Amino acid sequence: MIALARQRWCVATALVVPLLTLASPGILKLAGVAPSWAVLWLLPWALVDGPLSGALAGLGVALLLDGLHPGPLSQLPALLVLGWWWGRLGRGSRIQRSFSLGLLALLGSAALGATLALQQWFWQLQDPVTWRTVLAQSLITALLAPLLCSLQLLLWRRSSQAFGPAAGLRS
Amino acid sequence: MQSGRRWRLPTLRLLRAASPWLLLFAALLGVRLSKGAVLADAYALLSRPFWPGTAQREWLQSAQRLDQQARLASLERDNQRLRQLLALEQQSGADVTAAVISRELGGWWQQLLLGRGSLAGLAPGDPVLAPGGLIGLVGAVTPTTARVTLLTDSSSRLGVWVGRSQRHGLLVGTGTSRPLLRFIEKDPGVRPGDVVTTSPASTLVPPNLTVGVVQSVDDQAVPAPEAVVQLSAPLEAIDWVQVRLRRGVKR
Repeated sequence: MIALARQRWCVATALVVPLLTLASPGILKLAGVAPSWAVLWLLPWALVDGPLSGALAGLGVALLLDGLHPGPLSQLPALLVLGWWWGRLGRGSRIQRSFSLGLLALLGSAALGATLALQQWFWQLQDPVTWRTVLAQSLITALLAPLLCSLQLLLWRRSSQAFGPAAGLRS
Repeated sequence: MQSGRRWRLPTLRLLRAASPWLLLFAALLGVRLSKGAVLADAYALLSRPFWPGTAQREWLQSAQRLDQQARLASLERDNQRLRQLLALEQQSGADVTAAVISRELGGWWQQLLLGRGSLAGLAPGDPVLAPGGLIGLVGAVTPTTARVTLLTDSSSRLGVWVGRSQRHGLLVGTGTSRPLLRFIEKDPGVRPGDVVTTSPASTLVPPNLTVGVVQSVDDQAVPAPEAVVQLSAPLEAIDWVQVRLRRGVKR
């Protein structure tokens, strides 16, 4: 199942996530809140590559992103679980409809936001606009997901078909 | 009767003959009673081409600015000398100008990324200034970048000073553009409009830097009153900042 991870250039695309997070293009923001680029990258990856690879990819991306942000909040638990969950979903059925992708991204970023809100509560950080941030981020992520995730799904499926069986035979 | 008529007719004639002069007199009286309204307006209208232009205003303003800057510089020198006498701060570090290369102001984190890092001498904890005042502290550095944790970030905590009522408070970021000012005592005597600065006795950040203005005060907050502060530096519009190096400052 971990066919994509064998291709180094596939793994290297994960580096786009922190770069996009830093660049945070203003045109793709909703109420000043940027989409969760980690979710948008992780969803197609996990759907194609299975739960183990998904969880590891989530872990890697979360480590990259946590290094970029101040404070005690961490995206690691949410992305780890999301990668594993989406990997399970992708193994069971072939999810590719735009609506399903949008819904999964919506649920994923809402869950990510909820874990961050929980951590804010745990560390007793004051943030009166937490739920507005969760809502805005979930909505903009879900809106972008059909567009970006379907393209990535196509790319990953093609490369896993091109390299996957051969890699499987070799191992 | 007759004599009366004889008396009246010449008077009416006289009045008719003198009416232009009477009108003129009434007009002059009007001018007098209105404090010269027509005259002054006419003068303003006629002399408009010769009014002092914008150039003159700019000269005056630049002269005023120069005067203020000179006074500010001399006061700062004076202040520094007095502080040295008090041994509060031995020397203030140099300023490094850095470009803002990434800006995250909405969402979970409030931070800037600067295009200068440890190679330029920046270190964690250095205060970051922008036009308008203090905006945050350097949180982490890499060789060529520095990450600024803004005062509005929910993990930011900074001791500040309200000059008018001479009270200390803790400025707590809330993830919005307006951080919260928590006081220590029950009755801080702070009103909306008070200017918040860094503490004059501070050694962590440079003293007496403008931070913001108190917008509203909540006296009912538990355990002590809280105030909402509007930062004086416009975070959305800042492209260049100055990082004041603390290297060499005795702490």
